Amino acid sequence: MQPASGARRAVTAVCLVLAMRAGIAFGQAEKTRTHPADQRATSSGDRNGSIDVQQDDLLKKPVAEDWPSYNGDYTGARYTSLAQITPRNAGRMTAQWVFHPRVVSPLEVTPVVVAGVMFVTSANDAYALDARTGDVLWHHVRAVSEGLIDDPGQHHNRGVAILGTRVYMETDNAHLLCLDARSGHLIWDVPYATGNRNYGATSAPLIVKDKVLVGTAGGDDGVRGFVAAFDAETGEEKWRFWTIPGPGEKGNESWPGDSYLHGGGATWMPGTYDPELNTVYWGTGNPAPDYDGSIRPGDDLYTSCLLALDPDTGALKWYFQFSPHNLFDYDAVQTPVIVNATLKGKSRKLIVTANRNGFLYILDRTNGKFLFGKSFIENQNWAKGLDANGRPISAGLVPDEKGVRVCPSDGGATNWYSPSYNSATHMFYFRSFEACAVVQSQPETFAEGQAYYATGIQTGGEPGKGYINAFDLDTLDFAWRDPQFGRNKGWGGVMSTATGLVAFGDDGENFVIADGRTGKPLWHFHVGQLIQASPMSYSVEAKQYFAIAAGSTVFSFALP
Amino acid sequence: MAAFPPLAATAARRLPGLRKICTQVWSLRTWDFLPLATLLVFGFVVPDASAQGNAGAQGAQRFMEYCAGCHGADAKGGDKGPALLSAANANRSDSDLFRIVHDGTKAGMPSFAQIGDENIRAVLQFLKVLEDSTVSKSPSAEAVTGDVDAGRALYFGKAQCSQCHLMQGEGGFIARGLTKYGRNRAPDQILKAITTPDTPLAPSSEVVTVVTGTGQRLTGVLRNEDNFNLDLQSEDGRYHLLARSNVTDVHHTGHSLMPRDYGARLSPQELNDIVSFLIVASKNPRPGPVEHPVANDQNATR
Repeated sequence: MQPASGARRAVTAVCLVLAMRAGIAFGQAEKTRTHPADQRATSSGDRNGSIDVQQDDLLKKPVAEDWPSYNGDYTGARYTSLAQITPRNAGRMTAQWVFHPRVVSPLEVTPVVVAGVMFVTSANDAYALDARTGDVLWHHVRAVSEGLIDDPGQHHNRGVAILGTRVYMETDNAHLLCLDARSGHLIWDVPYATGNRNYGATSAPLIVKDKVLVGTAGGDDGVRGFVAAFDAETGEEKWRFWTIPGPGEKGNESWPGDSYLHGGGATWMPGTYDPELNTVYWGTGNPAPDYDGSIRPGDDLYTSCLLALDPDTGALKWYFQFSPHNLFDYDAVQTPVIVNATLKGKSRKLIVTANRNGFLYILDRTNGKFLFGKSFIENQNWAKGLDANGRPISAGLVPDEKGVRVCPSDGGATNWYSPSYNSATHMFYFRSFEACAVVQSQPETFAEGQAYYATGIQTGGEPGKGYINAFDLDTLDFAWRDPQFGRNKGWGGVMSTATGLVAFGDDGENFVIADGRTGKPLWHFHVGQLIQASPMSYSVEAKQYFAIAAGSTVFSFALP
Repeated sequence: MAAFPPLAATAARRLPGLRKICTQVWSLRTWDFLPLATLLVFGFVVPDASAQGNAGAQGAQRFMEYCAGCHGADAKGGDKGPALLSAANANRSDSDLFRIVHDGTKAGMPSFAQIGDENIRAVLQFLKVLEDSTVSKSPSAEAVTGDVDAGRALYFGKAQCSQCHLMQGEGGFIARGLTKYGRNRAPDQILKAITTPDTPLAPSSEVVTVVTGTGQRLTGVLRNEDNFNLDLQSEDGRYHLLARSNVTDVHHTGHSLMPRDYGARLSPQELNDIVSFLIVASKNPRPGPVEHPVANDQNATR
């Protein structure tokens, strides 16, 4: 399950005076056409304003001036090499601008920035902004879709992918749109999840080579999850990996009859990509129905898994299942971060990920083998621990009509908000949440147009407690854990910088810059809205900015 | 054209409460302003609405008060709300439309129950009048008089429209997309826009030449301008994001990139063919959604 939307902020008669064109003198001089010589002169030197994303731009790591995809670079580390803002001067940061898009629900977008142009989405709308000023360069308008339910019905959208001069986004009703990045005009529109109207999408696409990879939402509503790849030029579908095996396939024994068509395993966050191993890593969501496992015996492959897929063919290389036969809505879509590090004395290619089920995992990303696991919450009662292969040792809790108290709660010990890995200090940062919930279950039949949880969470649940964590890969232990105070449970992700900073949204509606060694806050800004998105950093004209979406607004900050 | 700003200013002076809206209307929709200027100055009487009497005037007034801020003064859509003069709304029943205004929508429109049922009905009546005077002007695909195929060939060939204008996924980017352009426009309106462009100049379309502090000359379309910044886009697609403090001269040309000699370059027949193509194409749902075969169907093996 994705987070419930906060209070819907109805937009009332907002008068935006756009493009006030003072100074236009009608009937002024005549010569109008652009002079090619002038263009050549201006095209030399820096590339500011020229949107043309090449493979090299996407492969660059860590990110610097540009932040060309949802997680910045392909590793998912959300670690920038920009070094203008440091622990010494961060306290002097100030707000640079505020952008208020047409909004129907709290923003979950991570802005993408290329050559000084920022791309953000709000529901089905996309915008290009002057990243220095927040001024709108173009706005692609598309109404929200009627008739959607659950998460897609809240019209969340996490942003764009970009390749060449084209921008790609998913719509609430699971269409893949291709827009011209220079104008916002629609080039093509491909509906990619049909046959069950509970499908929808909330994620940002991922570009891998010449393809656009997308996933689906609706995993609590009885859809059949998949990762699909489309030709970036034509929109033609190239492959599709179904996360719920069909008849005759390995793992189908969990899905009697046609239940595989409603088994969940949604893919509602972008994956990560290792070009050397030619592998994409993509997390899958909970099985459906969420809380009634009686009709899906066995492990329920490939739900609550990390999939290693061949980006050219969609073939499954390996999988690792975090929560077999899950009964508590423990999606495994949290960013699988690609890390090269020494583990227990040996140099390794790793995946590091903090899972919604309360365990932090380190896997060998060449073969999916479990290398290390550790609980990161104090109250953990659904599993007694992990065995030598990383499989949880079940505590035997089963939701029933009366309800069973489970920790972590259905909202997860962590969730889709981004983690971050600082490759210089080997520190892995992430937000966690300590909470328990009483889960009730009764049998339910799948039907289009309604959710498919098979009951839910007892109301009046226990208040939880949020933490920002720093896990040290050298010591395999926590360097610090900072409790969060505030009125709301925060949904803000984390990023880190080469100067040792961590940036995150806290539980008190503040955007915070802290010292990554200690967690000590160095600066904060009260955005006055619940932060339900992950931060990013970019640079234009040698000036470093941090940007984050909060509530109905995108904020940008920099040194004065 | 030059007469517009004083008219708007007069309206704003006479109706101080509407000054903000007038400013907004002026900045957003100069080229569609004339009927509204008339409306504002002459007591909200839309010519076509005269038969509606006081109710029509009341509807216009309430529309400006409560709706125009989001849906645009011409109801063709604004930054915060969609176009209201749409085929979808034309097909909605009166009670459905009433409910939408009264209760708001899931998509984010707030409830306007507080303005009272009578005012809601007046607004809806006003919109019906507007709809009759605009939506119905675009003829059906069958009723166009030109050769649509010839118009398509001209658009992508000799007339060079596609160099700048995207149509159903094909064409340039520097000028507005024309996929839906003909949907709500009459043939004579489209013809006028082709043969006498820049009357008036659409916002964010003006070509300017800027000289920077280092003496560099930049020419492009002025996408944004305020007291502090200028955003130009040159024909190669590049955005030039400039601080005004680094600019020594800005020359406004008063024109867009649209050639002004189509009336001479193309015959009346050719122009009519292009107009017909724009209208027919706008009623076709492409560029999307395009259905491609699913690469690995639900029952296929992996």
